Amino acid sequence: MSDLPDHAVAPIDTDQPPGNSRRAFLRGTSLSAFGALLGMTIPFERNLPAGIIPVALAQDTGTDLMSGKTGLTIMSDRPLNAETPAHLLDDDITPYERMFVRLNGLVPQSALDGNAEGWTLTVDGEVETPLSLTLEDLKAQFETVTKVLWVECGGNGRAFFQPGSSGNQWTMGGVGCPEWTGVRLADVLKAAGVKPSAVYTGHYGNDVHLSGDAEKQTISRGAPIEKALEEDAIIAWAMNGEPIPALHGFPLRLVVPGYPGSVSQKYLTRIWVRDQVHDGEKMTGYSYRLPAYPVAPGTEVPEEDMVIMTVMPVKSLITFPETGTEVPSGAATEVRGHAWCGKGDVAAVHVSTDFGATWQEAELLAPPNSFAWQRWRANVTLPQAGYYEVWARATDADGISQPPVSPGWNPRGYGNNLQHRIALVAT
Amino acid sequence: MHQIPLRLVLGLAALLGSAVLSGAQSGPDPMRALRNEVQISAADPMVALRAPAATETEGPAPNPEFGNLPDAAGAEETYYQCTACHSTAIILQQRVTDARWDDLWTWMVEKQGMFDPEPAEKEVIMTYLKAHFSSER
Repeated sequence: MSDLPDHAVAPIDTDQPPGNSRRAFLRGTSLSAFGALLGMTIPFERNLPAGIIPVALAQDTGTDLMSGKTGLTIMSDRPLNAETPAHLLDDDITPYERMFVRLNGLVPQSALDGNAEGWTLTVDGEVETPLSLTLEDLKAQFETVTKVLWVECGGNGRAFFQPGSSGNQWTMGGVGCPEWTGVRLADVLKAAGVKPSAVYTGHYGNDVHLSGDAEKQTISRGAPIEKALEEDAIIAWAMNGEPIPALHGFPLRLVVPGYPGSVSQKYLTRIWVRDQVHDGEKMTGYSYRLPAYPVAPGTEVPEEDMVIMTVMPVKSLITFPETGTEVPSGAATEVRGHAWCGKGDVAAVHVSTDFGATWQEAELLAPPNSFAWQRWRANVTLPQAGYYEVWARATDADGISQPPVSPGWNPRGYGNNLQHRIALVAT
Repeated sequence: MHQIPLRLVLGLAALLGSAVLSGAQSGPDPMRALRNEVQISAADPMVALRAPAATETEGPAPNPEFGNLPDAAGAEETYYQCTACHSTAIILQQRVTDARWDDLWTWMVEKQGMFDPEPAEKEVIMTYLKAHFSSER
């Protein structure tokens, strides 16, 4: 999976995604003609809910946009999900072409067209003054802030759980740290006047449900109101100084740092301030939830014992050198990477070249702002020719470190912050 | 690099896996998960820490007609049931327990708008998924 050339997008051999041209051709076509359009029969056409256009014809998955990414591993083409090999995440600020892609549904037409005309953000619910804000309103009425903020998929590391858990099998690359520009979520909420009855936020976007059903929400998650009112979260319209790209939430998205990426709603249209814990799509059941108590791997946990996953655990990546690299023995070799933590700053990073028997402390830089990932680097000297592994271990301000193996198993495979390891071959 | 015969390792893993899940008298043993040495790669030590996807192990050849699902009874029904919404790429990544497959089916029908077929059809599809994308066998 990870031995792709740098310029390539991993090939996948599943059913072909649609092209833009088909959509236009579709208009005015009846359901019975779908088979002819596809150039094949649809044996189970009766399975399609009435009035639902087959997704293969209805909406772009965004796969064509992957040509603007380099070296990512596509895990799924519909919905589109792609992760970044660790050695391609070496930049302090993750560029667009190296930013992972996690879509729950399909890219909305407005994003594909880059058309933000008439876009409004509604803020309503438990507020004194419901707001309807255009992008121009947001830019004019609130202080603009630019921050470097990491975003990590709650399921990053899922591939290492045994037994497996359903979903895309993210290894280490469901994380990135671009620079975002927008306004503070807290400023907007305060302008609306949060009532004492407010408990949670509920976020909505206009991405298209996989079934094609316009009535269905693709994903609608939220944050406790206390978290939303902290100064860190922003409503962003730019990533790395450019309008947010289609795959990452054009024209507006939330970035709620420290929480699973799914809280950072893309294609943002509405923030509903709730008087209860938000119960939108993928807030309930097993989605983004962990067992309330430790369970043995493979345990079936009753739904009522699942609690919402909030703060992401401390984690680190080795981004240089690439795993498998040959280095000279008896001389210092620089290894480096990033470390981050859902609680805020990371306190220390250590590296081991002897399978965890001994550890040396790495140099760790302060982040440019809270919730930016932190650069670490260390010089390691491999004493003689042969095979070595570099293991990296970050520790948070409470003294909590990354485990060497997968932490507590959970039914959907969230929060796996096991230590990253790379191979070095000393010559 | 020394290769342990794949069939032997897989057989062993299946045996150990079922013992864990059925709560056999030996009891759970976290060291078992660390013995999963199907795919040791000198290039990337993380590979040893993950169980292989179904597509990376021995089994029926992928059938390109059905999105590269393993060519076995139920592949066609599974293909047309599932790809109404998503491609086979997400199926090909799975290796979960039978109970998780049951829960996923219910979730897709109740929450995701999936068509609920006749019981016999469902049985064919679930049997296929549990046979080829399982952590239990």
